[in-house]
Amino acid sequence: MTEQLAAALAAEEAAIYAYGVIGVHLTGSDEVSRARAAELEHRARRDALVDRIDELRASAAPAPAAYRLPFEVTDREGALKLAVHVEDGVAQAWRVLLPVTEGEERIDALSHLTDSAVRATRWRRIAGVTPLTIAFPGRPG
Amino acid sequence: MVLTGTVLTTSRRILLGALAGSAALAGCGVFDGDPEPAPPPDSFQPLLDEALALAASYDRVIAAQPALAARLTPLAEDHRAHAADLARVIGVTVASAAPSVPVSSAPAGTTATLRKAEQAAQKTAVAACKAAPAERAMLAGSIAACRATHAEALR
Repeated sequence: MTEQLAAALAAEEAAIYAYGVIGVHLTGSDEVSRARAAELEHRARRDALVDRIDELRASAAPAPAAYRLPFEVTDREGALKLAVHVEDGVAQAWRVLLPVTEGEERIDALSHLTDSAVRATRWRRIAGVTPLTIAFPGRPG
Repeated sequence: MVLTGTVLTTSRRILLGALAGSAALAGCGVFDGDPEPAPPPDSFQPLLDEALALAASYDRVIAAQPALAARLTPLAEDHRAHAADLARVIGVTVASAAPSVPVSSAPAGTTATLRKAEQAAQKTAVAACKAAPAERAMLAGSIAACRATHAEALR
C-alpha cells in the first residue's frame, strides 16, 4: 500500500504546484477562489498522506524540486485545461488505493477520488468543455 | 398476568423443541437429496439494476424534453457503459440482466428527479465499493464517483 500512498502523495504535490500556476491565469474572482479552495484541499490531503506514510514507517520519495507541466499554460483557457488534467490525475492516484485498503480507509480514498472527479466536472463546465463527465473517473484513459 | 406469562413460556418451549427437531432431521441427511438452493444474487446486481434503470430514466426525460438531449445523452451513455462493465464482472448479459419491473411505463421525470436518483445511486455504489473484494473495488469506486459527477452536472 505504501507504493500507492506515495503515488497519491506525488499526485497531490503536483496538484498543489499546478494550482499555483492556474491561479495566476484565472480572471473571474469566483474562478480564483475556486482554485484557491482546491489548492487548500490538496494541501490538506498532502499533509494527511505524509502523516499516514510516516505512520507506516515507510519513506516516500522526496518531492521533486521542480515540476514539469504537461503543457504550457499562458492564458485562462490553458489554466482551466490544466485544472481538469490535474484533477483527473489525482482521481487516478486515489482510485488505485481502493483495492489495497479496506473499511474507512477505502471510504476515504473513494471520497478523494469522488471530490477530484466532481471538481474536474466543475472546471469543465467553467471552461465550456463537453461532455462534463467521464464514465469511469480515475480509470486511465 | 401470571397466567399469560406461563402460557408464553410454554409456547416458547414448544417452539424451541420444534426447532431442535428439524435441526436433528437435517443432520440425519433427510434433505440431502434436495437440489442445491439457487445461488444468492451477485452483490453487484443492485448496481447493475440501478445503472439500467438510470439510463432508462434519462431516455424518458429526453423523449419528453428533446431540448435536453445534448446535455443528458452523455450521462445516459455513462450508465450504459457502467452496465456493460458490471454485466461482464457479474457474468451475465445486459439483456438478461434488465430489471424485472418494466420501467418504460413510468412517467418521465425532470432533471431534479434525475439528480435525486443519482445521489441515491451514488450511496449504493459507495456501499458496494466498501464491501467489495479488492479486485472489484475500483469498478464500484469509479461508478460511485461518476454518479456524483452526474449530480453535479445536473445542478
